[in-house]
Amino acid sequence: MDKFVCVRLVQANALDLALFQFDYDLTFAVFFLNADKTIYGRFGSRSDRKEAAKDISMEGFRKALTAALDLHKHYPANKASLAGKQPRSTRFKTPEDFPSLAGKYKPTLDYEGKVVQSCLHCHQVRDAERRCFRDDQKPIPDAVLYPYPMPNVAGLSLDRKEKAKVTGVAAGSPAEKAGVKVGDQILSLEGQPLLSIADVQWVLHNAGEPATLNAQILRKRRRIKLALDLASDWRRQSDIAWRTTTWDLRRMVAGGMVLQDSTAGERRAARLPENTLALRVNHLGEYGDHAVAKRAGFKKDDILVSVDGQNSRLAESELFRYLLQRKMPGEKIPVTVLRNGERMNLELLMQ
Amino acid sequence: MSAVKKPSIVFAGLLFLDVASLTAAEDRKERVLNDRKEVEASGNWIYNDLSKGLAEAARTGKPLLVVIRCIP
Repeated sequence: MDKFVCVRLVQANALDLALFQFDYDLTFAVFFLNADKTIYGRFGSRSDRKEAAKDISMEGFRKALTAALDLHKHYPANKASLAGKQPRSTRFKTPEDFPSLAGKYKPTLDYEGKVVQSCLHCHQVRDAERRCFRDDQKPIPDAVLYPYPMPNVAGLSLDRKEKAKVTGVAAGSPAEKAGVKVGDQILSLEGQPLLSIADVQWVLHNAGEPATLNAQILRKRRRIKLALDLASDWRRQSDIAWRTTTWDLRRMVAGGMVLQDSTAGERRAARLPENTLALRVNHLGEYGDHAVAKRAGFKKDDILVSVDGQNSRLAESELFRYLLQRKMPGEKIPVTVLRNGERMNLELLMQ
Repeated sequence: MSAVKKPSIVFAGLLFLDVASLTAAEDRKERVLNDRKEVEASGNWIYNDLSKGLAEAARTGKPLLVVIRCIP
């Protein structure tokens, strides 16, 4: 560690968004960079609400550190290979520049006063970005709804103890079709040297829809090139239910409800087929804009069987995408719920 | 590898220190205040000051490791 200058940032207040672009749902994110602000790589991945360390490890962190030092050693000769790792242009330079956050926070924490309340959290950046679309009555695009997808959207399972080593390839996935094998080490993606799973996510986050991702693979001491083809709707494979920022999506289109696809047993008990919509209300917001569903008459354990005429089976994330891309704030949509065996028609206000 | 012989300690500290702290009856404010106190006391970290980190990296020729960590 003494080979690095180590900086710890514990606030998003005045965070330089033109430099620090990452998965804002993370509570632990690492950047490796040069003094001239050239980014060598990122570390920090997450796909589970409760298990913060499910997708990271000390071994993986150690390897990322070593790889970052190696990039630094060869810098600036390797600068061209790092071009894709650099931040993209951004409309807002700091979180406080977003309209929904403007004037609410100071650049520094109030250590002498209400320090907790003075802290602008990273997830508020993504919340604010999405709010811009809603406030402008525009659909939230897939790239904003499904940020920093995990590699499994391409059919890849990666070893959290390595930089980017394949431990699984899903049948029928883009990875399998490209010829990726278990044990392969992905050295680079789109020409970017990979230090971690987070670096793979960075490439995915910035990929097109559709996209072809060129990979350089190390397989049994041989370097080979493969291409992963991603379909136009590839991001929608991402599960965003774990994300803190999904809480605000629940406010926008579910009136504060947390919805869970009914299990086979619950469907049998409710006499609902496997292929139909059956989202059970797991939680109902109690306050403010998160209590819109409660005020509209929804109750915990209601089962939503039709939403805006949609009655095909959908996960919570899929329903949210449908509503966030088609229904704008102020609209009221018809919802049919199953409650104690009886069907009831309610209305849900979009926000 | 000698350059990175202690990441596990740092990583564990950075990631899990707060979890350990949760077991105590500290409230969120205490966690934020304690984090600053403990990390600064370690002597290895520049706390909440990127400009200082960039200047130090330029002066020493070392790369920067920036950890963004939500405390409360």
